[in-house]
Amino acid sequence: MKKLVIISLLLVLGYSLMNTFSDIEFGKKREGISSYFLEHSPDDLQVANTVTAIVVSFRGFDTLGEVTVLFLAATAMGTILFRRRSKHTGLNPQRKSPQASRIVQAAGKLLFPAIMILGAYVFIHGHLTPGGGFQGGAIIATGFLLLLISYRQFKVEHKYVTWIESLAGLSFVTIGLLGMILGPHNSFLENFLNVGSLNDLLSGGVIALVYIAVGFKVGAELTGILDTLINIRETGDID
Amino acid sequence: MNQILTYSVYGSAILVMLIGIYAVLTKKNLIKIVIGLSIMDSGFNLLLVALGYIKGGTAPIFSPAVAGKDVLMVDPVPQALVLTAIVIGFGVTAVALSLVIRLYRKHNTIKIDEIKTLKW
Amino acid sequence: MVANPILYIALPLFTAFLVPLLAKLWKPLVRIVPGLVLAYLAIMSVVLMQQVSPEKPIIAMIAGWKAPWGINLVFTSFSGFIASLISILAFFIWLYSFGFKKVEFDDAQKYFILFMLLTAGSIGVVLTGDIFNMFVFIEITSLSAYALTAFYKGRDGAEAAFKFLLIGSFSSIMLLLGIAILYTYTGTLNMAHLALLMPQVPMHAKITSFLLFFVALGIEAEMFPLNGWAPDAYSQAPGPIAASFAGILAKAGIYALIRVSYTIFDLGDHGGFELLLVMGLITMVVSELVAMRQENLRRMLAYSSMGQMGLIMIAFGLGTKEGIYAGLFIMFNHAVIKSLLFLASAYLVYYTSRKKISDLDGFGKLLPLTSLLFGLGAFAIVGLPPFSGFWSKLSLLIATANSHMEFVLATVLAVSVIEIIYYFRVLGRLYFRKAHKEIKVRKPTWNSVVTMIVLALVIIAVGVHPDFITGLLHNAATDLADKADYIQKIIPDLFSQTLN
Repeated sequence: MKKLVIISLLLVLGYSLMNTFSDIEFGKKREGISSYFLEHSPDDLQVANTVTAIVVSFRGFDTLGEVTVLFLAATAMGTILFRRRSKHTGLNPQRKSPQASRIVQAAGKLLFPAIMILGAYVFIHGHLTPGGGFQGGAIIATGFLLLLISYRQFKVEHKYVTWIESLAGLSFVTIGLLGMILGPHNSFLENFLNVGSLNDLLSGGVIALVYIAVGFKVGAELTGILDTLINIRETGDID
Repeated sequence: MNQILTYSVYGSAILVMLIGIYAVLTKKNLIKIVIGLSIMDSGFNLLLVALGYIKGGTAPIFSPAVAGKDVLMVDPVPQALVLTAIVIGFGVTAVALSLVIRLYRKHNTIKIDEIKTLKW
Repeated sequence: MVANPILYIALPLFTAFLVPLLAKLWKPLVRIVPGLVLAYLAIMSVVLMQQVSPEKPIIAMIAGWKAPWGINLVFTSFSGFIASLISILAFFIWLYSFGFKKVEFDDAQKYFILFMLLTAGSIGVVLTGDIFNMFVFIEITSLSAYALTAFYKGRDGAEAAFKFLLIGSFSSIMLLLGIAILYTYTGTLNMAHLALLMPQVPMHAKITSFLLFFVALGIEAEMFPLNGWAPDAYSQAPGPIAASFAGILAKAGIYALIRVSYTIFDLGDHGGFELLLVMGLITMVVSELVAMRQENLRRMLAYSSMGQMGLIMIAFGLGTKEGIYAGLFIMFNHAVIKSLLFLASAYLVYYTSRKKISDLDGFGKLLPLTSLLFGLGAFAIVGLPPFSGFWSKLSLLIATANSHMEFVLATVLAVSVIEIIYYFRVLGRLYFRKAHKEIKVRKPTWNSVVTMIVLALVIIAVGVHPDFITGLLHNAATDLADKADYIQKIIPDLFSQTLN
């Protein structure tokens, strides 16, 4: 009975959404602010990847918010899952996950440096090719995830994670505040460096720097979150 | 032809979203509810990316191959928005999972109907 | 003194990233530094409020891009008033909680970071001029609110937080759908630009999108029946956090709802305001009736808080300038008075885990000052003179009478009687019952006493001399009512293009 009500509610929602969206023709070009971005991103900012230009410059405040959301998620998890050191209640006997096979371990060791380099490449070239700080950071975190699942004793040092996270976040906001002092319009996150020329590695001014900071921050944060979620069972000592 | 495409592309994205909402509303398992939230977000992301597509457009990147030429590019704004939405969805999922872990530690179950204080 | 709206967001974020490092130097810094930041923001609000006028809003660009291409922060008389209210209140709540929670260092660090980000996110919702950016700030606010709800391990915080998170996720998906519809039809995300292009959106898309926004923001603004999260979250969160939910989170939610229905959509005359009015009425009546039946003090205050939110929605739903004025006045009073009530109640029910009203017998003698302040808050919130609540309720009644809504007026009066009944029931227990034996009492710390007294003084000062605030309120109401002016101030070029 409850399911029927829910299904009919969903049908109403689906119908009204479909009714609205079906008027929007798929694949049709529409007027809007995006043409301004496509024009000014290569000209004013010398950034080849327009999405990066939007994410870091035009809508840079959103990105600051996103980085904060990740930071908040990590902090919130720490608050929700506080750990007390070595207090076994006996309710949940420590379940030991089986050690991964030797093939996985060897392959993990081999792949890890390659994944790190790929991640770094993706966020350093965020203004030139598809990708950027978030994507690169996620790739780096997968490298650590590989180690976490193949070596049971592997643990991420939260001390280093905190340092990288904080320093990367601070450099993002500092670059933004420097823009308020040095930028031509004195506005937050404004570019104050030489923008270089299109499709050079050293182009885009602060955009590249911001995305590198974001890459470090996202990498560190996702790794920290994964480690919290995986090792919480191993330590098994929250009540 | 285009009409069919419009209906099928948006329709499938909306369907994914509705499946997610259905899971959140009916499933009893907390983990499944969190998965439902994730599916809901994915459905929306698909919809938004589809809205930004322009027929015959390329990726909005001025690589050396297209620089200086007059090429049609897809709308970059929805892509930037989706990036934000994905990251935020990730943050919410992480917090939701940690809440599930804590609920499990406290009640020793992840069945929603066995946790009385969760009813309303 | 550098005063720029950007600092409302940038400074708390900077500090949030810095605090984990500062903690390695000297541990008390994790408590002090967030307070210094909030104090700076509070002082900056005062400075900015003196500079701003309805004719001259302060607009801050980001990354040097003009609206509608870049995101901008708009500090007008209206948004600035709410932002100042939030920032000043946040400072006092910090002061209250400074020594309140003698917890482990690690928890204290997280508590203050989360509280600071809750404040920054709420101010961001209020100041931003971009609809998608508003979504991002709403998410920042909600995530910190989830974590703070689950802060205490001993209570049912995780359950309340999970409920809150589920409803919050629905809210965000609705909001995103609404934004997606608007973006595809207008091709822009800036609020002023959206308002300018709104006439070209077909009616059915406009209505769908408006309803999506309405539901999504109604969740944040504690509108019935979407407020299922609120009583649990209010009763499980730490005391100061419950105060900041009422004073900060709900204020940001209602601001967003009003900005969307007044500025972005032009549906006010097509039922948009009536919808707000009707939902406000339902929210008020239902919440106050439920509040009367509550046994738990915190839950009672939570339902009363929702009732007040309903009152605010009614005021804004009138759609007249008088209504806006009354709504803003109630918002101000609700923020100050409800915070005082929550802060005082935290000490009244400090040692009782059930937080029952019946456990409050005789506290008037045991905790004279706290009980007195609670009583003062109760008198003010039901709208008795000479407290500030009286003036706000009076202005609402006048506004409804002038809009010829006799039914609404009668309902508001009737509900006030219910409010009086359940608040006085608590006061009766505090003062006219004998205390239970062997009751443990927690004496308030000096900083919480200072905070509560300052809030009480504000209530009395505004009650005796409402002119302290009426000027600001009039400016804010003028500012919100004039939509064309808002558009013109933010995107002057595009506005004049459309006129020609």
